[in-house]
Amino acid sequence: MDLITILLGGLASGMVLFIVSVGLSVTMGLMGFVNLAHGGFAMLGGYVIALSMQHWGLPFGWALLLGFIAIAALSVVLERLFYSRLYRAGELDQVLFTIGLVFVMTASVTLGIGPTSQSVVLPDWLKGQTDLGFIQYRTYSLALIAAGSLLVLALWLGFERTRFGARIRAAVDNRRMASSLGVDVGRLFTVTFAIGSGLAAVGGGLGAEILGLDPNYPLRYLVYFLIVVSVGGLGRVTGVFFAALLIGVLDFVLKIYFPKGGTIFIYALTLMLLLARPQGLFGKKGS
Amino acid sequence: MTEASSPALETRGLCKNFGALEVAREVNFRLERGARHALIGPNGAGKTTFINLLTGVLLPSRGNILLDGEDVTSLAQATRVKRGIARTFQINQLFRGLTVQENVCIAVAERLGVGGSMLRPAGKRADVIEEASRLIEMLKLGGDAGRRIIELPYGRQRLVEIAIALGLSPRALLLDEPAAGIPSAESHILLDAIATLPKDIAVLIIEHDMDLVFRFAERITVLVSGAIFAEGTPSEIAANREVRSVYLGTALDG
Amino acid sequence: MASFTAAEQLARRHRFQWWETLPWIAALAAFFAFPNYLAFGTQVLITILFALSVDLVLGYAGIVTLGHAAFFGAGAYTVGMLASHFGWTEPLSGLLAAALVAGAVGLVSGLVLLRTTGLTLLMLTLCTMTLLEQAANMGAAWTGGFDGIPGLSFGKILGLFSFDVLYFRSQYLYVLTVLLICFLIARTLIYSSFGQSLTGVRENLLRMHAVGAPVRARLVIAYAISAALAGVAGGLFTQATGFVNLAVLGLERAAGVLIVLILGGYGRLYGAFVGAVAYMVLEHFLAKAYPTAWQLGIGIVLVVVALYARNGILGLAETLRGKRRQRSAS
Ligand SMILES: Nc1ncnc2c1ncn2[C@@H]1O[C@H](COP(=O)(O)OP(=O)(O)O)[C@@H](O)[C@H]1O
Ligand SMILES: [Mg+2]
Repeated sequence: MDLITILLGGLASGMVLFIVSVGLSVTMGLMGFVNLAHGGFAMLGGYVIALSMQHWGLPFGWALLLGFIAIAALSVVLERLFYSRLYRAGELDQVLFTIGLVFVMTASVTLGIGPTSQSVVLPDWLKGQTDLGFIQYRTYSLALIAAGSLLVLALWLGFERTRFGARIRAAVDNRRMASSLGVDVGRLFTVTFAIGSGLAAVGGGLGAEILGLDPNYPLRYLVYFLIVVSVGGLGRVTGVFFAALLIGVLDFVLKIYFPKGGTIFIYALTLMLLLARPQGLFGKKGS
Repeated sequence: MTEASSPALETRGLCKNFGALEVAREVNFRLERGARHALIGPNGAGKTTFINLLTGVLLPSRGNILLDGEDVTSLAQATRVKRGIARTFQINQLFRGLTVQENVCIAVAERLGVGGSMLRPAGKRADVIEEASRLIEMLKLGGDAGRRIIELPYGRQRLVEIAIALGLSPRALLLDEPAAGIPSAESHILLDAIATLPKDIAVLIIEHDMDLVFRFAERITVLVSGAIFAEGTPSEIAANREVRSVYLGTALDG
Repeated sequence: MASFTAAEQLARRHRFQWWETLPWIAALAAFFAFPNYLAFGTQVLITILFALSVDLVLGYAGIVTLGHAAFFGAGAYTVGMLASHFGWTEPLSGLLAAALVAGAVGLVSGLVLLRTTGLTLLMLTLCTMTLLEQAANMGAAWTGGFDGIPGLSFGKILGLFSFDVLYFRSQYLYVLTVLLICFLIARTLIYSSFGQSLTGVRENLLRMHAVGAPVRARLVIAYAISAALAGVAGGLFTQATGFVNLAVLGLERAAGVLIVLILGGYGRLYGAFVGAVAYMVLEHFLAKAYPTAWQLGIGIVLVVVALYARNGILGLAETLRGKRRQRSAS
């Protein structure tokens, strides 16, 4: 395989990582909440998308929207009922609670739908190859790259250019200061949590091709999502974007050239990076 | 102990910025040995930050801190404590799940250098336990010694803060609004405790209650916006028109 | 109790209470009562030791780690590789080696990792463990890679008692003895001034610095000791099962031990015992028959524990006892 092909493949999986992880980054940055169940929202969303297409014949785009809305709604309920009670608790309680939630999600899906993996059937226009002039490449991977790039642009604009975004940035940088300036951080968190979980759901559906989709999804990719978030820096949209691409490409390359355990480099690099810069590549010091 | 005349604590040209905010500006300050010194100033003046700088919780942007004439600017917190700086916190920082007795014992054990000892049970350190009990009695906390911090009213907790600081047998004791949150009926416990301290301990107290300040202090420093605004004996400060208008006036108003 | 002053209470806190013999009596009773379950019992004892090691850092020093299986695995692989590559099958010295290797890994990683706190620390412990797991996967020549090292056998304990494979009797007693020794070590530490200062770090880091404690050194030492104990647990695991594979290093084991400890109640010394027995007995009977329902149940229990019963089974028992006493007093 030549370089371009590998790069594109890596970018496509990096985009999926980004779409799933970005919400986690923002919510962790806002509340410092260790949410190990984030991958669970991606998995549930993937199921909503896959099943609504299979059983109701929903078109791909509508299925994505449905996945987003359903999981955003579910996450708001969970946030108001449970997460909000643990903001002041230590990491341990947050870890326990969210691991428990992952178990519940995994087991419920296994019980209700079955342990086998699901696939998202792509519409015709996303199948096959596209001629880029210099190379023929899978249309879907290219579409993923385009979608991820659009999303990061939209999020970046949202963060930099809207009042809502400015409030989130302020709260990530200094929660106390922001709330003393009249920002309702709790409310902000609920909304970002919903959007972030909804995006994870979309990512779960979009990425089913690459990451698969089965009840063990949340635990299998838990470490990956966490790595992306901590490498990128908590609460940094563009940071997560670059970190996700970096790790997506690195993972892709290593799996091709060192199929046996090549991913060890990712863990080693993450370890060294976090020791040198605990705030991640793009995070602000001390936040 | 390099020079007999060097003050217990001294700062030279001390500066600290939080981003664009200057919370300490060229602070030249002397806490003499055995002093009873008050640091006053409006909220946000940088008093707590000043204590954090002295104790090493924060590193200054510029300037030096001297303890007994020796530069301690870059020393770790623990080392400064070993050299005799102890503090209390404006907002209680206690071992909330532990009893009062245990709270004070932890401090005393550290001072006696046995905090890292692994084999002997803490309960067999009679010297640690007795010294802690003595301090607890001194602050009239005897009845609460076996209770956990979270079971105590806030005012009683404030006294534990002081017992812990005294357990470190400091030569310079920095008290950050020790009376805040103590019912006024009990604030004499605090004053009595400070009054019975050996005369060679230097005490710096941050306090808003002017009665308390004028009763306690032999010297007063007024800090405004991170800079020393005025300094002198209580009568000089009381007579200072600018201080009255800048600080005492606002304190009386609000 | 109430008739003692606080100082007297502190002075006698470390003394053994009569009820502290109960776990050991129960373990011996189980030995005679369930001769067909001794292999399972051995696994419970090993889990107790592992959970105890986690309690030292989590329950006492307040270090939240997701990677303690790294040390369990280090000990397990040490014993396994010594036996398979060097023919070093003497059990006790094997355990010692496991403790030393795991302790060294704990010391080095602790020195590096414990500069951080919170989420970063959590990530770093997770990464360290995954790194070791991947290394074990890659170093197939030494570790057997994905398949691990099967079919290990070990020499006689003290040259006297062989690991009898049929009834596992000497194995059970051997593991029980090692657990007792490790427990006494942990108990001594916890009631020492060192243990008290760890509690101080857990309760209030800021204050601990302000009383002049060398906080990081204390944490690193505690971490290394805990790692060594976890290594012993791992070494026992290899000796008892006769194999070692990647599962000893995984997230599942790290999360599992956390769950065991939390279920029993952390920071309580005996939480590890209660948690391991409760969790493993239930698992033994439920998980095989209804694996998914078991996972669902554990998930719900975790959620409930995190939200309502932070101190686990022992914590609930204490609360109930406290309430009863209040009622009888009034
Ligand atoms: N860690 C910090 N980061 C940013 N600003 C801070 C920090 N600590 C204190 N400040 C700011 O520094 C100023 C001085 O605070 P402080 O020293 O607590 O004042 P005082 O004790 O005199 O009331 C305040 O405006 C406060 O908001
Ligand atoms: Mg203050």
